[in-house]
Amino acid sequence: MLTVEKLRAFGANVEEGLGRCINNEQFYLRLAEKAIADPGFEKLMEAAEKGDLEQGFAISHALKGVTANLALTPLYDPLCEITELFRNKADADYVSLVSAVLAKRGELTKEN
Amino acid sequence: MNVEIPNGKMQTEPGAARKRKILIVEDEFVNREILVAMLDAEYEMIPVGSGADAEAVLLRQAGEISLVLLDLNLPDRHGLDILREMKENPRTAKIPVIVLTSDKEAEVESLNLGAIDFIPKPYPIPKVVQARIRRTIELSEGRDLIRETERDHLTGLYTREYFYRYAEQYDVFNPDVPTDALVLDVNHFQMVNERFGKQYADEVLIRIAGAVVSSVSASGGIACRRSADTFLVYCPHLSDYRAFLDGIATAACGNDRGRIRLRLGVCAETEKSVEMQTRFDRAKIAADTVRGSFTECIAFYDNAMHEKEIYAERLLDEFRAAIDGKQFAVYFQPKFDVRPETPVLCGAEALVRWIHPELGMISPGVFIPLFENNGLIRILDRYVWRETVRHIAEWKKKYGSTVPVSVNVSRIDMLDPDLVGTLRDLVTDGGLDYSDLHLEITESAYTENARQIISTVNELRKIGFVIEMDDFGSGYSSLNMIATLPIDVLKLDMVFIRSVFRENGNLRMLKVIVEIAETLSVPMIAEGVEKAEQLNTLREMGCAMVQGYYFSPPLPAAEFEKYVRERKKENA
Repeated sequence: MLTVEKLRAFGANVEEGLGRCINNEQFYLRLAEKAIADPGFEKLMEAAEKGDLEQGFAISHALKGVTANLALTPLYDPLCEITELFRNKADADYVSLVSAVLAKRGELTKEN
Repeated sequence: MNVEIPNGKMQTEPGAARKRKILIVEDEFVNREILVAMLDAEYEMIPVGSGADAEAVLLRQAGEISLVLLDLNLPDRHGLDILREMKENPRTAKIPVIVLTSDKEAEVESLNLGAIDFIPKPYPIPKVVQARIRRTIELSEGRDLIRETERDHLTGLYTREYFYRYAEQYDVFNPDVPTDALVLDVNHFQMVNERFGKQYADEVLIRIAGAVVSSVSASGGIACRRSADTFLVYCPHLSDYRAFLDGIATAACGNDRGRIRLRLGVCAETEKSVEMQTRFDRAKIAADTVRGSFTECIAFYDNAMHEKEIYAERLLDEFRAAIDGKQFAVYFQPKFDVRPETPVLCGAEALVRWIHPELGMISPGVFIPLFENNGLIRILDRYVWRETVRHIAEWKKKYGSTVPVSVNVSRIDMLDPDLVGTLRDLVTDGGLDYSDLHLEITESAYTENARQIISTVNELRKIGFVIEMDDFGSGYSSLNMIATLPIDVLKLDMVFIRSVFRENGNLRMLKVIVEIAETLSVPMIAEGVEKAEQLNTLREMGCAMVQGYYFSPPLPAAEFEKYVRERKKENA
């Protein structure tokens, strides 16, 4: 189960995220769980594997927005980088980059 | 202009407060929920996740939505396309849109397309988001209010207040352009309303407005609807307005030109130092000189009008001093009972004259309408009543008896709740009997506010005043009305008498009126009798009393007193 402590340990800027969620811890955690379980992460990997840059951009852009609002910094930072690469249709190892994001997300999904 | 929005609540009816509605268009559940949480306390939220849903909401509730928060990356449509369509659609164009984006490029494009602001992602703290949204709604509603008050609802032209301001601005930016102030009126618009209905009349006004705008906007002119059927135009000078007016008349009623007649007053190339409103007042004076004319429909304000206006201003300015300095003299025109072989003095009418120290004797025809327009007539009437009472009291004291004198009671006096008390005090303080002072009330006053006038007249009669209905025959009363009105004497209008004797055919009409008075047992006084022929005809018809130059012009008090003295001798 996600907790504020777990998020803080993960590296999220909990105060910032909570602030945006009108300092309602329960609400913040509910949204954070929703964000972590977002099927967009899996779809992002599919896009990366297919080399679908447009789709990759749309999904990473959306995930970036969500993680930004919740201040899930360890996910937000790499998503920013990936979004810009997709936007510029850069030649990059998207699969590795997305894998790193998924791995980071895994830290939050695994049960202690 | 700011509008206070206490907690985002909008008053709809007394005691009930309704929250303003915000449409949130954001496909990401998390982002949407955060916004809802931030704003939920102040606003009613309508969160949707796609462009199609947003369109559906706008289609149904455009008029109720105070703000749209719009994400740009939607699954089905790009937010900028939605924004563009909203701004193109008159139903949604006025709804303020705040774009939600983290993209700098998109921010600029959104603002160019008509977004009022943007909120970046990640969102600022709730207080900042709330403040920005509140401010946006305030500004937008303030702007709507300005638009509402700036424009006339029916025609879309400026309202008067804004028009004058923009006209003054025109002069500031174009100090060297000679300009004209125009007043355009529809002749007898009330009749258009009554004959063809309000809807048709409104359509005419809308068409006139459209034609005026298309005629003057190319030259930078501006227009407004000042009141029901009066339009003001401020535009660069033109020497000939015939084509202008012709174009508007054609637009106003198409092929049916006879239905609508317009008149135009022009105050041309006035010095810019003359106040804007004054220029339009002058154009209005000019327009009214051709009111009702079938041959002339354009009039330019000229020197003669200007001099008349200055003269009127002077009279108004000097009114108070004239009252204080007793420049107003009360004259008395005798009334004669013409039933006996030798006519007998039976009364008089008190008439006011202004003996101006510099301008000499001023005709009441000049100053009475002026004072009637601004209420000064009340002061003048009271002055005349007091002077009349003073004279009657003096004659009564000297000769033991006198004849009744009638004074004019203006239309505006009849609306004075203290009228009865004022007149009663005057008579009792002067030691007179109520029957010594007759009251002349114009026929048209009865028709304008019949119920109140009748009740006041009844009160006056009850305490003993004699009521003479003045100007009878000037064309207002129905026969039915005359039969039911509380009056003691009918005074036949001077203009009517003159026209009757000018056109022989109308003698029959005169006979009918005399007979009506007879039937009602109301004695009749004919005013304005100047010739023996008129007197004889009226006598033959059975008219009881006559007043006019045939017997005597209005006389100063001292001269009229001779009549009172003579009568006393005859009766002795």
